[in-house]
Amino acid sequence: MTNSENASTLQRFNASTLAKPYHGFSLSRILAITLNTLTELTRLRVFYVLLVFGLLLIGSSIFMAQFSFQQEFQILKDISLGAISIFTSLLAIVATARLLPQDIEDRTVYTILAKPVPRFEYVLGKIAGVLLLLAISTLMMSAAFLLVLYLREQAVIHATMRQMAGAPPEQIADALRAIRSSALNPDMLPGIIIIYLKACLLAALTLFVSTFASTNIFTIVVMAFVYFIGHLQATAREYWLQEHSSGLLTRVFLAFVALLFPDLQAFNLVDDIVAGTAISLALFAKTALLGIFYTTIYTLLAAFVFYGKEL
Amino acid sequence: MIRGLVALAILVALGGIKLPIERNLAAMHRHEHFRGVEFNLDLREKIGQLGFIAALSGFRAIVADALFIQAHTAWERTEWGRILLLFGHITTLQPRVLLFWDMAAWHMAWNASVAAMNDQTQPRLALRVKAQREYFALGKDFLERGIKNNPDRPQLYEALARLYKEKYKDHGRASEFFAKAAALPGAATYDRRFSAYELSYCEGREREAYENLRSLYDEGEQERLPTLITRLKFLEDKLKIPQDQRIPDRAAGSVK
Amino acid sequence: MTDSSPRLVAQESSGGGSCAEASSAVAVHGLTKMFPVPLHPARGIVAVKDLNLRIEPGEVYGLLGPNGSGKSTTLKVILGLVSPTRGRTEIFGRNSRLVESREAVGFLPENPYFYKYLTGEETLRFFGRLCGLRRARLKQRVNELLDLVGLTKARKRRLGTYSKGMLQRIGLAQALIHDPRLVVLDEPTAGVDPAGSREIRDLILDLKRRGITVLLSSHLLAQAQEICDRVGILADGVLVREGHLHELIAIENQTELVIADASAHLVDEIESMINRSDAKLIERRKSTTTLERLFLEATAKNDEGTTKQT
Repeated sequence: MTNSENASTLQRFNASTLAKPYHGFSLSRILAITLNTLTELTRLRVFYVLLVFGLLLIGSSIFMAQFSFQQEFQILKDISLGAISIFTSLLAIVATARLLPQDIEDRTVYTILAKPVPRFEYVLGKIAGVLLLLAISTLMMSAAFLLVLYLREQAVIHATMRQMAGAPPEQIADALRAIRSSALNPDMLPGIIIIYLKACLLAALTLFVSTFASTNIFTIVVMAFVYFIGHLQATAREYWLQEHSSGLLTRVFLAFVALLFPDLQAFNLVDDIVAGTAISLALFAKTALLGIFYTTIYTLLAAFVFYGKEL
Repeated sequence: MIRGLVALAILVALGGIKLPIERNLAAMHRHEHFRGVEFNLDLREKIGQLGFIAALSGFRAIVADALFIQAHTAWERTEWGRILLLFGHITTLQPRVLLFWDMAAWHMAWNASVAAMNDQTQPRLALRVKAQREYFALGKDFLERGIKNNPDRPQLYEALARLYKEKYKDHGRASEFFAKAAALPGAATYDRRFSAYELSYCEGREREAYENLRSLYDEGEQERLPTLITRLKFLEDKLKIPQDQRIPDRAAGSVK
Repeated sequence: MTDSSPRLVAQESSGGGSCAEASSAVAVHGLTKMFPVPLHPARGIVAVKDLNLRIEPGEVYGLLGPNGSGKSTTLKVILGLVSPTRGRTEIFGRNSRLVESREAVGFLPENPYFYKYLTGEETLRFFGRLCGLRRARLKQRVNELLDLVGLTKARKRRLGTYSKGMLQRIGLAQALIHDPRLVVLDEPTAGVDPAGSREIRDLILDLKRRGITVLLSSHLLAQAQEICDRVGILADGVLVREGHLHELIAIENQTELVIADASAHLVDEIESMINRSDAKLIERRKSTTTLERLFLEATAKNDEGTTKQT
């Protein structure tokens, strides 16, 4: 074959593919993986089980009417926010732990990465799907919680107004004010956002751990351990930096814990918020930023390790 | 494999960066009255293994609430020792919930003390009084610790003032604490008045009390409540205030 | 037998980027892949050893070998899923390690699962979007491909309900969603029943007619024989034989004559002619069809009246 025939043959075979030419970073690719991950997770049974459990817990706190309204609202808020906290943390770990191993085991990851999709975008899409799921769950549970709180508040208000039928108006106003202030506390909203960010942190960390792990179970066990130690990190950190009398081995261990683990206590602010402690904007912003920082770092490290993973 | 090790090394290195940030944030938290609970062996001994783990994992409030419900039952059974124990745990777990300190003190200084005083099984009065005073002290202790954890909120100062007033009959201290409560944001409107009332019962401080009451009176109608007027007149008589400086006699009828 | 597919004269050159190299569909240069055994860095499993091969545009190349011979590994290196220990691979002149080299490739892995909770249509839409297809174009392509692989009736059903053959077909569809110039198939007919197998082979031949290059790996040799133009045989990571199929399997000194409607007398005459010459008659028998054709004919009759797509 002559060269000119070669060229025309080549031209035929080099006919443009239907897809747009490859770009280095594509939001729509990431979005496709994100929405796909979200779909996958919402069709998981464990999601619904946990959600129903969480909602039941919130609903059950209606049966606390035997106490004074302050005590009742206190217990209701504690239980609901505790449920939101544990549900989102648990979901973050359980949902994320299976993402990569499942794809690798099913060989679906080959079909995705055989397309012009950078590994980084794949990881990013996966974690974004989980974060989206967590956001939706948090919103749903918070809405349920606020609804229950509102209904109970209204019930107590009506009961009180009946009891105080003949009393002077300022007394009634005082009583109503007391009821309202012990029910809805606007600072709870930043507290819930911090709970959400803690879940995001745990999801990103789980993703990172799953790039090392070969099984689902391993990741979850490690994360249970990390969750526990993370809540003790603050104590370990202070011991390490302040105590000068402990042995070398202890200090090395404490240093290891302090450096490697995130301080999860920093994100448990709701208890004190419910108790009435106000949260300043500066404190909220700093805590939120720390959560975002952790989430970003763990995601990047996960992508970094995944980039070199033999599939 | 190598990448994994590099990643861990990066994590440790970043640990060095995040450490001061975390400490700074923790200090900020403490300053704004978060993180009042230290998770150390002490706490674990107090509330046991399971409670400790639950509290650690962010269930601190729920554990405290569960203990609170138990304390409620203990109260129905007048088990004062158990109430004391439980509230000790509860307030350790939730130092920022005023309700718990308040109820703890109430159970000790108001309920248990009365029960001790009326205890049929103790024939000797002296011992009953002793027990009663011990309960007063326990109540006072709760409120003082509560104040230490909540120096920014008036409610416990007020509760302590009432304790001094009703149980110790110590009007000086009562006045002092009503005043402290009044100085904080969110204090009840009557705290200042009550401080002045208590002062007016103190021997040797009539002049001071009079000044207080008078300045309150001068603020306007909202302060001119019957008790205030009564105490003011009492002091006016005691201090022999000249007639032209005295407040006018109670006008017909209604307090506005 | 002349080869009708276009062939370019191969030029061996030491410098990179020669005209011939740039025009190969796939080029593998000195590929070695060693999988390290954990905790024993010196030892390792050598999956592929110093492999060199080239696949020209428009041909169907079969990479054959027993299980564990390194076929899958080679395919994965070509697709950039696994990085080589030594050497390099290229697709249409672009290094496999670059993400953009996969613009023009479609891959069907061995025993794929895909996402069980997605329907056939959603699966194709997902993969289409990964390739940058959108809106109307995406919709059109999805419809075209569902039609091509015969899954239009099952498009709304979740993949969890698909049979193995259907999964294989949807896999092929996703590999083709972006109209690639090269299609890589890892054991495309493994575990598929004869009818499904035939369909897949027909599809591959259709791809070839349209000028798409096909690289497939298989250990089902009879099937490979029917569709491949060239084959390479791997054993223990080494390419032991390579070349055009017909050249490789032709037995040089033997000739077959297939005659229809020959009388026994004619055949006897031919036989005696052979006996009189230097040649030797090795075998005389009735032509046979294949068991596969018999099976398909038999089962096709039973299927009459039912829909073709399952």
